[in-house]
Amino acid sequence: MTGLRALSFLLLEFYFYGFEVIVKDIICLKGISYSYYDKFPAVCDISLSIGEGERFAIIGANGSGKSTLLQIMNGLIGQSSGKYFFRGNEVSEKTLKDKGFLRFFRERVGYVFQDSDVQLFCPTVLDELLYGPLQLGIEEKEALDRAFEVMQILNIENLKDRPSTMLSGGEKKRVTIGSVLTMNPEILLLDEPTNGLDPRTQVFLVELMLALNDAGKTLVMATHDLSLVDELHMQVALLSEEHKMVKIGPSDEILKDEDLLLSANLIHEHVHYHGEEIHKHRHSHFLFHKH
Amino acid sequence: MKNKVPLFLLERPSSDSFIPGKGGLKISFIEKGIHHLADVIKTGYIQWETASSDNFFQKIDARVKILFLLFYIIIVSLKKNIPSEVLIGAFVFVLTFLSRLEIFNLYKRVLFFAFIFGFLIALPSALNVITKGEIILPLLHLSKPYRFWIYQIPEEIGLTREGVYGVLMLTSRVMNSLALSFFVLYTTPFTEIIKALKVLKVPDSFLMIVTLSYKYVFIFAKTIEDMHLAMKSRLAGKVSNAEGRRWIAGRLALMFKKSQQRCEEIFKAMLGRGFSNNIKFYGVKKLQTRDWVASAVFFIVGVLFLWI
Repeated sequence: MTGLRALSFLLLEFYFYGFEVIVKDIICLKGISYSYYDKFPAVCDISLSIGEGERFAIIGANGSGKSTLLQIMNGLIGQSSGKYFFRGNEVSEKTLKDKGFLRFFRERVGYVFQDSDVQLFCPTVLDELLYGPLQLGIEEKEALDRAFEVMQILNIENLKDRPSTMLSGGEKKRVTIGSVLTMNPEILLLDEPTNGLDPRTQVFLVELMLALNDAGKTLVMATHDLSLVDELHMQVALLSEEHKMVKIGPSDEILKDEDLLLSANLIHEHVHYHGEEIHKHRHSHFLFHKH
Repeated sequence: MKNKVPLFLLERPSSDSFIPGKGGLKISFIEKGIHHLADVIKTGYIQWETASSDNFFQKIDARVKILFLLFYIIIVSLKKNIPSEVLIGAFVFVLTFLSRLEIFNLYKRVLFFAFIFGFLIALPSALNVITKGEIILPLLHLSKPYRFWIYQIPEEIGLTREGVYGVLMLTSRVMNSLALSFFVLYTTPFTEIIKALKVLKVPDSFLMIVTLSYKYVFIFAKTIEDMHLAMKSRLAGKVSNAEGRRWIAGRLALMFKKSQQRCEEIFKAMLGRGFSNNIKFYGVKKLQTRDWVASAVFFIVGVLFLWI
């Protein structure tokens, strides 16, 4: 009966949204909009698709709606209009009330918040890593094994009994990533993952993300760190300051288009001196100066 | 790094479909509570928006509004008959209407607080045990009167005319005072109120506490909301009430620690910018003709209320 229902659902999906949604895309957004307090628009009419195993970046200036879009993808807030599909299943406040679907969705989609402080709410680091797997009903022994393995890869074994209030910024970020990894999600949604981290931790994170992607994880991140996008060779969706989608394409193509980046406020005009001569050119913390 | 990735992370989910659960998830009491907390922020935005609009009372200087509030609250407290209170109430209602505020929302709050703090609290005083007088609604008949120390419990207990009048008087005073306060709050941006209080020589330490508390309420509400979202993102089922209580207890302790840390950081930031126990404001404008006219009208109307 369940198989028949799934088949009819698939056929309906195929009829309405085409072959791409059902087979290839793990995430598909169709005309998503959201307003805070029904007053301030955060994202307007966003449509995009993310394939399995893809490295996908949502870039845009501050306040363009990157984090909101990521929260919609994690089903934390419900879109005001538009449709969101995860593996062909519609995700909405209504469908997430179904226990079976909620579990299916949560164990496959992990979210790393921009502000690590809000994500770390358990008494110690070890409790933090165990919270997710225990919620999914994984046995305590296996959950503990996962926690220790993740601590090893993140180099945080020495922090296991520490409360989150006694960690540095970089340590907190490692723990938040660890707390999601122990759930073994298919997709990792990362909100400004390198924000405020020292260069060494940033390099560590880039290596970790590449390793996770090699292991089959789909990576979706919201960022304005263009060098990170370039390093990871991602598929990029560029949001404008008007909260709309400007362009989707490979990072090589988007990052080359200076006019596009300038219009989205991701690079800026920069004035400085060369000896006595005043010099003006476009500048970003990613692109090389072109003199 | 690649070799280090734990084996369990290479495991794929067994199926790409799900089995629908039996029955839906009910919204937990935490979720409901958090939504109420989020409403604090929404209310703050609405207050800011209505206070910044360009309507009748919003245009008047905050100093005039604060003095208007104090003057009328004194009048409300001095009046000793219900018809005068009704007249003052009607006057405030007209001002609210002219200022294009959301009358239903404003009076919903006024009536709620007036019912609890005016009516319910004062209701027992309407009994003849406390206020002597003519019984208009008998409630209980005892076999004989009782005396206890300085107290006397009469044979018949009920609501007296004088007592009911007193309760109605107090309720109408509370209602009018609340309507006036909400009206001024909804038509004046918070920063303008603080500026006006500073000009009116309210101590700096008091203003500082009010300002920081007001800002912290929003930070607090946002942090709690984000923490809840973080928990929601890792929840795959229903939260039982017991688990919910445990989560809240843990979060309260954590919030207390975080608040302490934030408090220290804010104080250091204030010191770093030259804070020395004094609040300094800029741009305190001169009163315009409109403000003087409004002050005169409110004063005359106030004196009329005192006189009638």
